[in-house]
Amino acid sequence: MRLLRNLGRRKLRTTLTITGITIGIWALVVFGALATKIDGLVTGAHAYFGERVIVSSAAGGGGMFPLPISLVAQAASADGVDVAYGQIETMIDHLGHQIGLADEMIGYVPGSDRGRDQFPYKYASGRGLTAADEGKNVVVLGADLARKNAAKVGGTIRIREADFLVVGVLEPTLTLPDSQAFMPLTIAQVLYLKDLPPDVADNLVASQTITHIVVYPKAGADVPRLAAALEASLPNVTTVTASEFDESVGSMANLLGGIIVGVGLISLIVGGLSVVNTMAMSVNERTREIGIKRAIGGSRRRIVGELVGEAGLIGFIGGLIGVGLGAVAVYLGNLAGEDSGTVLFTLTAGTVLASIVFATVLGMAAGTIPAVHAARLDPVHALRYE
Amino acid sequence: MALLEARNLRKTYRLGKTAGVEALRGVNVTIEAGEMVAIMGTSGSGKTTLMHILGLLQQPDLDATPGPSLVIGGRDMTKLSDGARTRTRAEHLGFVFQSYNLVPTLSAAENVALAAEYAGHGGSKGRTEALAALDLVGLADRAQHRPAELSGGEQQRVALARALVNRPSLVLGDEPTGNLDSARTADVLALLRRFNRERGQTFVIVTHDPEVGAAADRIIRMRDGLVLEDQLALAA
Repeated sequence: MRLLRNLGRRKLRTTLTITGITIGIWALVVFGALATKIDGLVTGAHAYFGERVIVSSAAGGGGMFPLPISLVAQAASADGVDVAYGQIETMIDHLGHQIGLADEMIGYVPGSDRGRDQFPYKYASGRGLTAADEGKNVVVLGADLARKNAAKVGGTIRIREADFLVVGVLEPTLTLPDSQAFMPLTIAQVLYLKDLPPDVADNLVASQTITHIVVYPKAGADVPRLAAALEASLPNVTTVTASEFDESVGSMANLLGGIIVGVGLISLIVGGLSVVNTMAMSVNERTREIGIKRAIGGSRRRIVGELVGEAGLIGFIGGLIGVGLGAVAVYLGNLAGEDSGTVLFTLTAGTVLASIVFATVLGMAAGTIPAVHAARLDPVHALRYE
Repeated sequence: MALLEARNLRKTYRLGKTAGVEALRGVNVTIEAGEMVAIMGTSGSGKTTLMHILGLLQQPDLDATPGPSLVIGGRDMTKLSDGARTRTRAEHLGFVFQSYNLVPTLSAAENVALAAEYAGHGGSKGRTEALAALDLVGLADRAQHRPAELSGGEQQRVALARALVNRPSLVLGDEPTGNLDSARTADVLALLRRFNRERGQTFVIVTHDPEVGAAADRIIRMRDGLVLEDQLALAA
């Protein structure tokens, strides 16, 4: 209470200092939430990838380029391969650009992974695809895709100018499947060919065309070596494994981590300096008061404790407000992003707690300098100070 | 044994590298327990410096020859660390200043309780003692007021309560009536005398107010950093 009263003495100055800390912590929270989200995507994608080796055309990624289905049998017979199957996996709208994950359509034959896909798909409503769906315009939607299109089980959704009956909606996975539409392979093959340039499509037969081969290695197989062997034995293909994925996406996550450290440092410097300034002015104004306290028996440690506590309180209040405003920004950002299916932020209790603790410790650390200075004041000199 | 015995107190304030002002030039003072002593003198006579040294707010020149000694309650204070002198101030000394020197953000009761807290009586014990001390100076009903809401005389009585809350054996005053009119001065002096009589507390008061001098048992007159005259007052 006493500390609060001291802060209340110079309302404008205290408010400005708290605002400084608030802004820093706000930025820390928002970037932290962004990083958590990206981190979740990376970790989730890693789990999603599992032990798989994804084979696609060496001509380009993103499922833009076709592969002949005959390669599947070739891949399946390669050394160390347990299961291999072909699928269509391509961006639904390859002209659309968006932050986060692109919407994808995936055409596959249910059960072709022979139980190797360990990713925990859960259905919020409806069901998964079955072999009986083959040849029908039915679709299972990822959580974001369903929400974005307001699609429900039993309703229809338009994908690449074709109407689909929604038979299932997945629960959020926080990674790739959230923005994917799963459909029978034959249907996907036709849609895929329709969208290719005519001179390319003319040379292809829909039922013989895929974009990716999903390969599950045998237990104990050397995955990188298997990937290299597939690249060598199959014509014009390239492979991606979980570890390669980690390297490419991980570098982006690292970049973001760097930005967060940067923001943290800036808030540390700006917020810290303003606390030092505020407390130094405060000590200056209270020189006489400090002299009185020292004279009537207040120890140096008490004087330091009081001032450091006050500075810590400034940091704590700034941190609290910063986290509050950051949470509001994250909420509004996600609300705005919901319509386009781009949920950018994940705010965790850890981020909230760490930010508040950081702000408080920052305030205390910054307050230490003027506090120690105050405690060293000669009481007689301080008492004479006007 | 005397409550306080000071020998060879010298204090030189350095001005620049070579010049200095000798505020005290070798002062010897003995104060018996239960005395009420006034230290008087013109400004610049060294009386305030003497009070600061007797009150452990300042050290005398330790490198002077002959070396200084300041024995209070049987202990030589010149040999103590800053922390030990701070503790001694908290537990055994009380201070009253000319400009009251209350903490503006704290209520009267909190100001008094602060001194109790420094002496190790925190929490409700300190608050109870603070209220009792305020009652002694007749300000029980003003306990929750901030200094700005109190008159000068009331503020000085709060300061007095703060000086007395830990029942110190020695109370030092630096022009405690300097900002008060004669009626308030008489009030404060009457209080000092009451505590001196009832509790046997020793008061050492720096003043240039003859009224205060007249109220004391003994007057130490100073000039140019030396004790000029040390006499018992005729009328106590």
